[in-house]
Amino acid sequence: MNTFRLLSLLLLPLAVSAAVPAGDFVESHDTTYNSLTVERRGNLVEMRARARGSEALESAIDLNDPLRLVVHYTRSLYGALFIQPQPKRVLMIGLGGAGFHRLFAASYPDSLLHTVELDAKVLELCERRMGFTPTAKTPVTIMDGRMFVKRNKEQWDWLILDAFRGGFVPPHLKTEEFYRECAARLTDRGVFVSNLHATSQLYFSDLKTIRAVFPQVVLFETLGRGNVIAVAVKYKDPIITDPAKWPTAEALTLPIHAGRLDLKEVRNELTLFPSDRMKTARVLTDDFAPVEFLDTLKANNTDAKK
Amino acid sequence: MTLFAFHVVVIVLGILSMGFQLLASRLLNPHFGSSIIVWAWLISTFLAAFSIGSMVGGWISNLGPVGRRRGQLIGTGTALVTLAITALAAKPLLNLIEEHITDPSWSLFVSCVGIFFLPVTALSTFGPQCVQFLAGRGTPPGKASGVVYGVSTLGNIAGVMLTAFVLIPHLPVSTLLYLWLGVAAVSLAALVVLLRPASAS
Repeated sequence: MNTFRLLSLLLLPLAVSAAVPAGDFVESHDTTYNSLTVERRGNLVEMRARARGSEALESAIDLNDPLRLVVHYTRSLYGALFIQPQPKRVLMIGLGGAGFHRLFAASYPDSLLHTVELDAKVLELCERRMGFTPTAKTPVTIMDGRMFVKRNKEQWDWLILDAFRGGFVPPHLKTEEFYRECAARLTDRGVFVSNLHATSQLYFSDLKTIRAVFPQVVLFETLGRGNVIAVAVKYKDPIITDPAKWPTAEALTLPIHAGRLDLKEVRNELTLFPSDRMKTARVLTDDFAPVEFLDTLKANNTDAKK
Repeated sequence: MTLFAFHVVVIVLGILSMGFQLLASRLLNPHFGSSIIVWAWLISTFLAAFSIGSMVGGWISNLGPVGRRRGQLIGTGTALVTLAITALAAKPLLNLIEEHITDPSWSLFVSCVGIFFLPVTALSTFGPQCVQFLAGRGTPPGKASGVVYGVSTLGNIAGVMLTAFVLIPHLPVSTLLYLWLGVAAVSLAALVVLLRPASAS
């Protein structure tokens, strides 16, 4: 009788897991740098990072259509096309679940998209659970983003900064000196693209710091999501801030974008600088970068839409 | 009054030691990132400095009055000179190290040991001498040791919290390094005066 009870107890978890739809899973990992959760529900696989008592969505993939840009801000990243429509060589700092990568690689098969990721576990999960396989055109280097930019002397058409650690960006990736190092790695017509969170006081310092380095900056606001994508260049001429001079969305749209990326919509996300709030913000430097402190101060960003 | 001043100085030295670790991390981050590897080297460097500083301080405590006095002055001088070098030249030094030592682990090791080890070691030499000071005034050695390290650790906690939540959010690291130098100069001068009667006895 006792043996039967023991067996029942041992088999109970198996019975419970059998009730979960086939293929679904939740797994959590405390890695060297993050507390990550990867969860599959139906066709969707999400990668989340625990931070401040909640979970920040880092990335998501639709396994039925891996080219679909599930997380909205990854669509806004393509706003860079309006400024540099020929991304032959792209450096991305921050891998996540490679939500951006697959459509990019399919859209521009001859282009190089090199990713730098700090956390080796992120790459492992991305490969094992989110179906991403790095190739010669989409290599991934495990290294600190700033270290890579310092040591690798190659030039890039797009340099995308999308590095988060549990919802915040490490301070050394937010400073004027780092942005100057990034600018030095851009081709003459290259663009620096940064995913910013417009929900705290840090946003205003971010913008002021980017503007301190790059003479021209445009912003795409992912509506209702709290993300703003800054696209910046190191040249003053030609002007990039006048959308009338941009290539049309139609000219940039590829057949593979159908149903996945609406560049007209991205173009409409163009937004203004919150100039009033930026007046009192301070430029972040290696010497003064209270990133964590500013990130805890909530922002009322309503004047961004004036 | 003397004992009150003594405890204040012990707390201030505790604040300086651990607060300096957070400043050190801010200095290293632009050059080596903020990975766990950086923190491992940084923490190990500070612990090694605490360890060696304590042993050297214990050895100084057992010297005669003249030797003790000399040890206190050398400790003070080393702490102030190395803190001054950090305030004046840490950034150019880190640039130089990063430029000439391409292996990241080696350059991190050289940076930690070269820039942060000596000032923390020098500050740590005063711990055992403070124990000796209390013991020399009639406090049982075990109790003296407990009081000094207990009070010093409270200073460590204050140093971490003050630096993380007040100083770094409001002041540039370069300014804070000069503040550290100034506070160290005042508190070590006070300590050297306080320790004098013990060394003369």
